[in-house]
Amino acid sequence: MNANAFWHFLTLQLVKERSKHLSVILISMMIVFLLSSVLFISSSIRYSLEETLKVQPDFVVSRTLGGTAIPTPMAWGDELLEIYGVSQVTPRVYGRYFFEPKGKSFLLVGVDFMEEQSHKNLQALIETTDIKAFFEGKQMFVGQGVKEYLNAHFYKGSYNFLTPKGQFENVKFFKTLPSQTNLISNDMIILPLDLARKILGYDEEEVTDILFNVPNTDEWDMMTDKLSALHYDLHVVNKKEVQRSYANLYNYKGGVFLILFLILLATFSLILYQRYSMVYSSERRHIGLLRALGWSINAVLRYKFTETIVVVSVSYILGVLLAYFYVFVLGAPILREIFLGGKNLHNIVGFLPVLDFSVLSSIFLIYALPFIASVLIPVWKVSVTDPKEAML
Amino acid sequence: MMIKIENLYRTFHHDDNEVPVLKNINLNIKEGECIVLKGVSGSGKTTLLSLIAGLDKPSSGKVLIDGEPISKLPDLFASELRAKKIGMIFQHFNLFEHLTVHENVTIPLIPSGLKMKEIQKKVDRALSLAHISHKKEIQAGRLSGGEQQRTAIARALVADPDIILCDEPTANLDRDNSLLFIESIKELNRLGKTIVIATHDPLFEHLDFKSTIIPMADGKIVSSYDDE
Ligand SMILES: Nc1ncnc2c1ncn2[C@@H]1O[C@H](COP(=O)(O)OP(=O)(O)O)[C@@H](O)[C@H]1O
Ligand SMILES: [Mg+2]
Repeated sequence: MNANAFWHFLTLQLVKERSKHLSVILISMMIVFLLSSVLFISSSIRYSLEETLKVQPDFVVSRTLGGTAIPTPMAWGDELLEIYGVSQVTPRVYGRYFFEPKGKSFLLVGVDFMEEQSHKNLQALIETTDIKAFFEGKQMFVGQGVKEYLNAHFYKGSYNFLTPKGQFENVKFFKTLPSQTNLISNDMIILPLDLARKILGYDEEEVTDILFNVPNTDEWDMMTDKLSALHYDLHVVNKKEVQRSYANLYNYKGGVFLILFLILLATFSLILYQRYSMVYSSERRHIGLLRALGWSINAVLRYKFTETIVVVSVSYILGVLLAYFYVFVLGAPILREIFLGGKNLHNIVGFLPVLDFSVLSSIFLIYALPFIASVLIPVWKVSVTDPKEAML
Repeated sequence: MMIKIENLYRTFHHDDNEVPVLKNINLNIKEGECIVLKGVSGSGKTTLLSLIAGLDKPSSGKVLIDGEPISKLPDLFASELRAKKIGMIFQHFNLFEHLTVHENVTIPLIPSGLKMKEIQKKVDRALSLAHISHKKEIQAGRLSGGEQQRTAIARALVADPDIILCDEPTANLDRDNSLLFIESIKELNRLGKTIVIATHDPLFEHLDFKSTIIPMADGKIVSSYDDE
């Protein structure tokens, strides 16, 4: 077969029968779009969580009484330092601060900027900060979401926090937190330890919790036991447990995803079935005719296969591009609500563009293989079993 | 012998029933002959034509085209033989309605391996042979019945086949167009084509050129046909 003549005829048919192909392309594009959007979102979230966990401290120690968290004494930090294998002990003061007038809350985190941090992102933040400039007056780092919220409420350069004692603390915006792993940092405010204490109502020698690292992961379980024995009211959590709770949160989201996915598959099979019967009824005649005009079964199959590949590829590429734009540029309106929940994770969370090629290729397989099969099988059947079709 | 049919049987299977449609057909058609297969609907004419074209396989017996057993060849070779030697014309014209006249006529040559330029040359020649060149850019669906049939003739001629098979070619044409069609057949006959027409149109009973009428009934050739 001369490739030139073959392509000439194929393009001719595609162009002249575009109305027939257009509807198929549009529907398939929507399916690919939905599939890829969902997969883009979930792989982006997974990536963000992994990145978040990577930089988090290995251990968190806090004080609990009767199941309620109460301020942790700073002195515990010194005790921790005595334990062999413990490094980068970091006391931390944080809590939710509720803004007037709308009752929106953000996470206030107090950090000792003079100490080495067990949280790698914080450490990086401090290392890249001009500490001198930061300590000129009361200043804070704000997450992207915080900044947008405050700006929208006309706080351009600073905000007046109200302390539990009824005083105002005016704190200036110093910088916006980098948006990497913004799942966590988006609704965060980072400020010096003393300032956080004042705003959240802690005493001098109190913190919310104490972080530290234990580089040797084999010691983690033993360390947990050891610490629990130290004080009856000491509560200790390690990263593995945090990891597990994240996994649980997104397993639930995964269920929602699964349902969505099943609905998509059901729709898709319906369309495929329709396509199958369409090939059967409307194209029977064409196939029979091509056969009568001297085309071999091979030539007919090759023609239909190429036509289908073109339709499939066009809709796949368009669908994926559209999904990329929708998720990573527009931030996935509507679908975001399903995945992040309206309240669980605050404010605008952009998705970090993560292109997982195994995801892309599985979409292609889930979509393209059944599609191609749904065309080629009837074509093959017609060309083999209905030889006289064109003559009837 | 251009077409040689030997002890040809074709039986269809309906559920458990066997329906014999062609029963022991023997026929020899020489190069340049014009054969009219005449018979009522259901007598097996279409089935016979499709077997000659190698579109269907016989239950037993064989069909030879110019010495080659088309009925026994694998599809790839049977199709090649059909593409080279056989042009077909149908009752329902069977054009691709969204394509132009000219584009319709290229279709048989697409798998031929010819270059687009050569294809165009052959197409133009076929169009003028069928007297439809003036409509070549018109969409096939917009043509009158007669014009559609002439397009179909051009398409059947484009690969310059030795054999033209026609299945009820005038069934959807008015009298004037039917007569025009017969004129075209006469021309093709003069060009030396071997022509087989399956029809029950009485117009074919008195052709003003040499032709042989072969009556068919109930899957058999009725009167004995002297194959010389
Ligand atoms: N694919 C088929 N399956 C079953 N029966 C068929 C098939 N094709 C044709 N027949 C039967 O064979 C007989 C002859 O059909 P056909 O060759 O179309 O006759 P004609 O063209 O002379 O009208 C009819 O009774 C028809 O029902
Ligand atoms: Mg018939």
